[in-house]
Amino acid sequence: MDEQLFQKIVKNLVELKDTSELMMDLAYSSLLLGSRELAEEVLRLEDHIDNIHHEFQIFILSYGGAEKEAESRLGLIEIGEVAERIADASADIAKVALRGLEPHPVMELVISEAEETVVKATVSKNSLLVGRALKESKVAERTGMWILVVLRGGSWLRPTSETIIQSGDVLIATGYAKGVDDFKKIAGEEAKRKRPRISLRRRPGR
Amino acid sequence: MDRSRRFEYKRMSVREALIELKDLSELMVDLAYSSVLFDSKELAQEVVELDERVDNLVFILNVSTILATRDIEEAESLSGVIEVGSAADDISNAAADVANIVIRGTGIHPLVKEALRQIKKQLSRIEVKQGSMLIGKKITELDTISKTGVNTMALRRDKTWIVSPETEQIKMGDVLIVRGMQEGTEWLRIAAEAGV
Repeated sequence: MDEQLFQKIVKNLVELKDTSELMMDLAYSSLLLGSRELAEEVLRLEDHIDNIHHEFQIFILSYGGAEKEAESRLGLIEIGEVAERIADASADIAKVALRGLEPHPVMELVISEAEETVVKATVSKNSLLVGRALKESKVAERTGMWILVVLRGGSWLRPTSETIIQSGDVLIATGYAKGVDDFKKIAGEEAKRKRPRISLRRRPGR
Repeated sequence: MDRSRRFEYKRMSVREALIELKDLSELMVDLAYSSVLFDSKELAQEVVELDERVDNLVFILNVSTILATRDIEEAESLSGVIEVGSAADDISNAAADVANIVIRGTGIHPLVKEALRQIKKQLSRIEVKQGSMLIGKKITELDTISKTGVNTMALRRDKTWIVSPETEQIKMGDVLIVRGMQEGTEWLRIAAEAGV
């Protein structure tokens, strides 16, 4: 196989794997935090990953290889399948979160303002975060919020401490509710007077 | 007659069970891919054992939910919990299937190895040997020791797994599953194997 095709498939596989794991993280978090936003993000990723997986399968099927390689190529197809299964299971979890779980003593899922919440903030061009790596900005230390995922121009990024934030990035973070205003301020968004409340009540008509 | 596995019921809140399922799912997927990268049957075997633990947890989740249901309204809202358990089971089965590719020993395609090599933060399995300077230290101290930030994802002591350990004190023979940059984990491996 030529080097270019090899690298293309590798890049594809990395994206497949990363996306499936991101979906898993977000899906469980959406459930534990009762977050509609995170759950919806997971479902958007589901469409995205279907496309990546399809591309991956076409690549594998289209490159000619020796018959003795068939066994390991099968392993390759299986690895792609595994990412798809993880993605599907994550989508199932997100759908349960979206349906809404009734607060029930056995669930202990009632979330108050003192507890964990999810916040989405767009980074303005004046924000101190712009052009800096996350470890430099010390977001978690300053606000108590942990950035789960960064949306940048239609792509999802799993941030590391080295990730450099850009103006226009949409940050989805989780942490204690009291950190929300600080987080929005640091991102450059004006903090609203009313704190967002996450409700676990069932939607009417369901 | 089919050999059926005995599950053990333990009182646990649904939230606790869900948190553990989340941690286990993530750990198993990481371990499974690491077993592929390192072509390690040992790591793959850990994954298969964790799969059994997930099965038990889902069993506990299902029993707790059934016990708590008294009428149709509760059944409707708690049915979601059963679905989550089923999804967690799917994830752990997927991870176990990856591990089985390694155990099968039919060889890993170079594409997969290359893809996994590109991941910056790797998982490592570190066994604490006799005389190691790590013995007696708490898990939370490991981060400072390794200097480049290492996250201990799980600790195995004989047959018992502790996922996301914090206050545990390290004993000889413990197996640590850690994640971090290569320098940090390599340093930790050296500390685990040598006495000071």
